[in-house]
Amino acid sequence: MFSEKTKNIADACRFCWMCRHICPVGLVSGKEGNTPRGRALLLSLDTRDIKLTPDAYELMFQCALCNACSNDCATGYDPTVFTREARTEAIVNEQVPGVVKPVLYRAMAGNITGKAVNVEIAKAARNLDEKSDVLLYLGSSAMREGAESALALIRILDKAGVKYTVLDDEPDSGAHLFDLMGHVEEVHNLARACINRISEAGAKTIVAIDPTYARFFKHQCGEWDLMGDIKVVTATAFAADLIAQGRLTVGKLDVTSATYHDPCRLARDLDETQPARDIIAAMGIELKEMFLNRKLTKCCGGAVLRESYGKLAADMAKARWAEADSTGAKLMITACPACAENASAHVPGNMDTADLFVLLDRACR
Amino acid sequence: MELKAFMVNMVQSELEDAVGMENVSISEAEKLTYGVDYFWIARMWADKGRRPPEPDFIVRPKNAKEISRILKIANYYKIPVHTWGGGSGSQGSALPMAGGIILDTKLMNRLLDINEESRTITCETGMIFQTLEWHANERGYSVMHIPSCLTCGTVGGALAHRGIGIMSTKYGKIDDQCLSLEVVLPNGDIIESLPVPKHAAGPDLNQIFIGSEGTLGVITRATFKLFEQPECRKFCSFLFKDIGTGLAACRDIVQKIKPSILRLFDEAETVSIIKKIIGFEKAGAFMNLAIEGMAEIVDIEERIIMDICARYGAEDMGSEYGEKWYKNRITFFYPGHIMNNPQMFGTMDTVATFDKVEKIYWAMKNAVEQFEGVRFIAHCSHWYDWGTMIYDRFIMDKPPEDPEEAIRLHNRIWNAGVRAAMENGGVINDHHGIGLKLSRLMKEQYGPAMQVFEGLKKSLDPNGIMNPYKLGL
Repeated sequence: MFSEKTKNIADACRFCWMCRHICPVGLVSGKEGNTPRGRALLLSLDTRDIKLTPDAYELMFQCALCNACSNDCATGYDPTVFTREARTEAIVNEQVPGVVKPVLYRAMAGNITGKAVNVEIAKAARNLDEKSDVLLYLGSSAMREGAESALALIRILDKAGVKYTVLDDEPDSGAHLFDLMGHVEEVHNLARACINRISEAGAKTIVAIDPTYARFFKHQCGEWDLMGDIKVVTATAFAADLIAQGRLTVGKLDVTSATYHDPCRLARDLDETQPARDIIAAMGIELKEMFLNRKLTKCCGGAVLRESYGKLAADMAKARWAEADSTGAKLMITACPACAENASAHVPGNMDTADLFVLLDRACR
Repeated sequence: MELKAFMVNMVQSELEDAVGMENVSISEAEKLTYGVDYFWIARMWADKGRRPPEPDFIVRPKNAKEISRILKIANYYKIPVHTWGGGSGSQGSALPMAGGIILDTKLMNRLLDINEESRTITCETGMIFQTLEWHANERGYSVMHIPSCLTCGTVGGALAHRGIGIMSTKYGKIDDQCLSLEVVLPNGDIIESLPVPKHAAGPDLNQIFIGSEGTLGVITRATFKLFEQPECRKFCSFLFKDIGTGLAACRDIVQKIKPSILRLFDEAETVSIIKKIIGFEKAGAFMNLAIEGMAEIVDIEERIIMDICARYGAEDMGSEYGEKWYKNRITFFYPGHIMNNPQMFGTMDTVATFDKVEKIYWAMKNAVEQFEGVRFIAHCSHWYDWGTMIYDRFIMDKPPEDPEEAIRLHNRIWNAGVRAAMENGGVINDHHGIGLKLSRLMKEQYGPAMQVFEGLKKSLDPNGIMNPYKLGL
């Protein structure tokens, strides 16, 4: 049974094609079923007794939840609402697609990639004070796949003299599980346990390196009233602020020009596009903007989609690379562990990719 | 032809061989998503929980050669082929009413060339039109085809139904903007029209396929004019005492200069939609326009427009409402603003020479409003040297609950409105196309001239596989 909110949004979107041009999944697959309109139509038919079939649930899990559609909507409808709820229904009705199940189980265990925590990160976390006002939250991706980025950020904080801690037993917040299951008790419980552990560490500010987690803490945990007085800051905004305060001495890098891929969670969900550009400018790099930049950025695959539908995510990453290539820049800078992973797996021969914090670490004396 | 037992699988295998396994689907859910376009009947049918028309196969070719293979297979088995672009057409043109193959073109979305020397841009026709416009914008140009479906429709879709954009009065209709085409004929042959601005080498092949709605072949590549972005764009708005006065003023304007945007609304639309979206409060016939190009010329054009409008007693409403309209030009079409189910509605756009336009307007209004509970609103938004179109819409807030009864009433209203236009010198359609919605009226429109289209159809598509039931063919 779908909620009235979901039914209303699906009924509004089922006959509206206005956002199809910006849907990164539909653009690479060419499938009607991969557009917000297609999913809305299927869901609206379900409420009219043409029930969702297993292949319809597949389509529901093939959305990147990147919010390009809701950002584009002139009247404020948000297709991710019914898409998440359809995923909840899939779980309730035992209709989760086979390729999604293992990802779901890994997300429930707090480790969507199934990879081990990077040993260097584990070591760095053990050497820090147990309690601090500032807590660097790495998240599942950054602790495993984006370790280079996380380690660079740790060095940056050290260079700036920031007192901070990283939990050596960092619990998963449930951000990825939220995308896979929607608003359910299991996600709420994970989030509450995570915030409790962060509170025990005395944190007043969470610095989140992964925009997926920053968004989840800020919006979802905020909505559930779990955050108390704890403030959430993205790592990009935090680092840009350190530069602005003069706490970091940033030199010029030997990079002539680069383009920057705005992570969709950062640009759209958190409305943050300038700090990364300020950091890039501080390093003396000429920025060649992609045509679709800032809030119009196009998702490059995301973590959840990559784990479940790898080919689709790979096609999205390649499409983004094509846009990067057309700027004439030879380097694409990313600022999200999932983006970095997607981008680095599909770098075209004439280009390269670099993480923003890795570059900043190099530029800081 | 009905495919019995495992024949479906046999054909599926052939299609997979032609375009790759990943690009053929018989998914039940996917089939449903191709059964509803913007056509009111298709929407109402789904709204009532009726099962939409479904194809047997969804095929996503990546190029003209793959389409050629698909059409050869379809011809051998005599399977209907419905070409699908964005699916945002309002006439039911892409709906798979005969089952068979949905040929979804959206994987054919490559930009092939931007030629700044010739000022042309070439792409595959599965590209969403907004993407093509972005490619042009990246280099400082525009295709100047800016319809309300810019973000939803494909390049091929715009060509297939002879589409138009809001800038048409200055920059032309899609059939003016398109320079050349590549087309896959129903027998699988791949042909090209002549890649020149104009010629005298017989009839224009472009104009045979533009507007053919997938009944004569599949358009796979198109080259368009590129326009420089205007140095200056100015907005104006006026209020006329009635639509007749406004029509006369607009005629005088387009005889002298070409605004990019020129929209004249009847009183009913002025006090409803225009009021709601841009907050214009006065009664009368609202008109907004934009003039653009080199600043010096635009200044002169603005003075001429002011003089003409003053001569017809129009009240100058300043630039604000023109700017607001432009800013909200797409907002009109989002849920919450556009007509929506359960309302019954339709856009009966027609076109005629200036001397007939007002007569047609009143004839259509009277014909449509004779149905109980139906109201009529209209505007004229695309102007040609010798005439204009009427974008007239009917709206019924409480249509019959029973879907079959609603369809019959819908078609009676359409018959009455379109026949009123045709009887008074208008034509069946200006820019939305014919599709399934108006197919039955094509022979009435053309009379003996219809044999030209029928001859083309018989010659190019002897098995009648291409988009059956559409365009009267």
